[in-house]
Amino acid sequence: MARVYNWQIDREMSYWYPEKRPKRQFAAVFDTNKCIACQTCTLACKTTWTSGKGQEYMLWNNVETKPYGFYPLAWDVNLLERLGAQNWDGQRYTGRTIFEAAQAGERVLGWRPEEIDYANPNVGEDDCANGVEKGAYFQGVHNSWFFYLARICNHCTYPACLASCPRASIYKRPEDGIVVIDQSRCRGYQECVKACPYKKTFYNPMTGTSEKCIACFPKIELGLQPQCFANCIGKIRFAGWISKPESARPDNPIDFLVHVKKVALPLFPQFGLEPNVYYIPPLNVPRDFLLQLFGPNVDAALETYRNAPQDKDLAGLLTLFGSTELIVSKWKRVQEEIAGYDESNREIVRVPLREPTLVRQAFDAKRNVARSNIT
Amino acid sequence: MNARIVLLAIFVVAATLPACKKPEPPISEAEVRAVAEKTIPSTSEDKVWERVPFHPAKLLMQDVVEPRLMQASTSTVRVQAVTDGQMIAFRLSWNDPTQDDLPGPGRFEDAAAVQLPAGITPDVPNPQMGEPGKPVEITYWSANFQAMVNGRKDDISAIYPQAKIDHYPFEAASLKPGSPAQLEMAKRYAPARSLGNPMAGPRKVPVQDLIAEGPGTLRVAEKTISTGVGKHSKDGWTVLLIRPLPNGAQIGARTQVAFAVWEGSHQEVGARKMRSGWIPLALGAAR
Repeated sequence: MARVYNWQIDREMSYWYPEKRPKRQFAAVFDTNKCIACQTCTLACKTTWTSGKGQEYMLWNNVETKPYGFYPLAWDVNLLERLGAQNWDGQRYTGRTIFEAAQAGERVLGWRPEEIDYANPNVGEDDCANGVEKGAYFQGVHNSWFFYLARICNHCTYPACLASCPRASIYKRPEDGIVVIDQSRCRGYQECVKACPYKKTFYNPMTGTSEKCIACFPKIELGLQPQCFANCIGKIRFAGWISKPESARPDNPIDFLVHVKKVALPLFPQFGLEPNVYYIPPLNVPRDFLLQLFGPNVDAALETYRNAPQDKDLAGLLTLFGSTELIVSKWKRVQEEIAGYDESNREIVRVPLREPTLVRQAFDAKRNVARSNIT
Repeated sequence: MNARIVLLAIFVVAATLPACKKPEPPISEAEVRAVAEKTIPSTSEDKVWERVPFHPAKLLMQDVVEPRLMQASTSTVRVQAVTDGQMIAFRLSWNDPTQDDLPGPGRFEDAAAVQLPAGITPDVPNPQMGEPGKPVEITYWSANFQAMVNGRKDDISAIYPQAKIDHYPFEAASLKPGSPAQLEMAKRYAPARSLGNPMAGPRKVPVQDLIAEGPGTLRVAEKTISTGVGKHSKDGWTVLLIRPLPNGAQIGARTQVAFAVWEGSHQEVGARKMRSGWIPLALGAAR
């Protein structure tokens, strides 16, 4: 195994291959607070990529209700249990990653879902973490909680699927860091299915190969955001490019959210894959649960997010989410407006920091009817 | 009196039973002895197999490269071989009470393979999938391939009989089933198939000819020439593999052969397999 640097755990770690970062890395930010689990993303992906025979059960994109939703069943808790309790020392993860905790004969600490684990994609949907006591009413703090976690392949810097493939059939595209399975080379050993902690590779029994999210690379190559981003009606998603922390650019939207404001965090950074989908954590979820999911920076991220109304730059950038299908490579706040630019510095979108609000009379005298919505 | 006759008849039948038992072929402990015949037997039930010596090939866990097999399963494969100087037929049989021939997530198929050096050379390649510059040729048979060749429908309902499918875009009413346009569209929804990956089918034979030059380098030969057939009984699998002799091999030559068996119900796949080391192979040995 080689020694590589993983900035998300602030240390070197063991990995099957030496560190080799792509020319640029596809990345995304998902704001969990805005997701309503409408599954439009899931269907956008499904109809685009997985309508074939053998792909019926595949959800390259899914949205699950946490804490009791999983696809496949118990994907995260199964691995957490196998990994055992581990520690962070401040920003540094002192526990073992899934590469370092690999058992004898294995490249990665993983587990293999059974068919039945894929049988209930909506298990736990809208289930609260705690029961609702009789007579309880909302007092400003939710005692019972759940939130929606939208998931795609994380196109990790250190993918476990790639490390586990004995045939080297999986690779990171050097031009954009998107992780793909070579469909002409794969022999369907399902080692990647066992190894991926996020369980985002799927075996196709009709073609005898494993398949996965390709981040809609044909769209990316045209400067467009993937289908699950463009079709998100909650506008929770933003696709772009992430730099290493030391070369972060504040005018790069992803860099600004992840490295400058540190408001978006990786999912299970302790697994050691340096995943490239970043989440703005949900506000009304117990801290311990969030620490387990998003690592030690969760408190600061939530505080920053809560203060967004006073932070015109952050609030402004968040308004760019879902405002265009094009990939915004650069952004700038121009007083009360936010402008987005493509790679050639061409302005492609401009949105107001605050949508103008028109307040109408409660009664429409012309039609002689009371209005139900006056803003 | 009648009872006495019946008892006597039972005794006579019982006494003659061992004589009716099929003759056991001789054993060849030290090597696989490929018997020279004018024609290669095309089935594993051919009478010739009653006379061809068998070699009980001991199998070991593949525990050299990751991912390894950490728990042993199939311990022995019984090997017989016949050659006509061009082709060689291997009859492999091993115990396996479960017939695993359906693919699926977390589900694996029974399989077997024969490995030969690509040519007759004084120094044989590494028995573990060959080595760079010293390729090995492999004929791989899978129970899943066999089930497809035996007629399992190329449809998800053949794997999951209860599956209910709303719609496939390539089976829209506007597309005539089996028409070039329909087939072309269906291919686009099966990426591995559209790229010609032989794992994806459709297939006419239950075997693949493969070449390797070390672990992880397995590739498909330009053409699969080999044929084969596998059958499962309560005792396990009997698989007949017919493939060309290595380059330069002829009757009277000696080379090496290796075998591998995958037990699907034991989640064996790829490198997770039971395999032998090189075993001497005598081509055209006397019976």
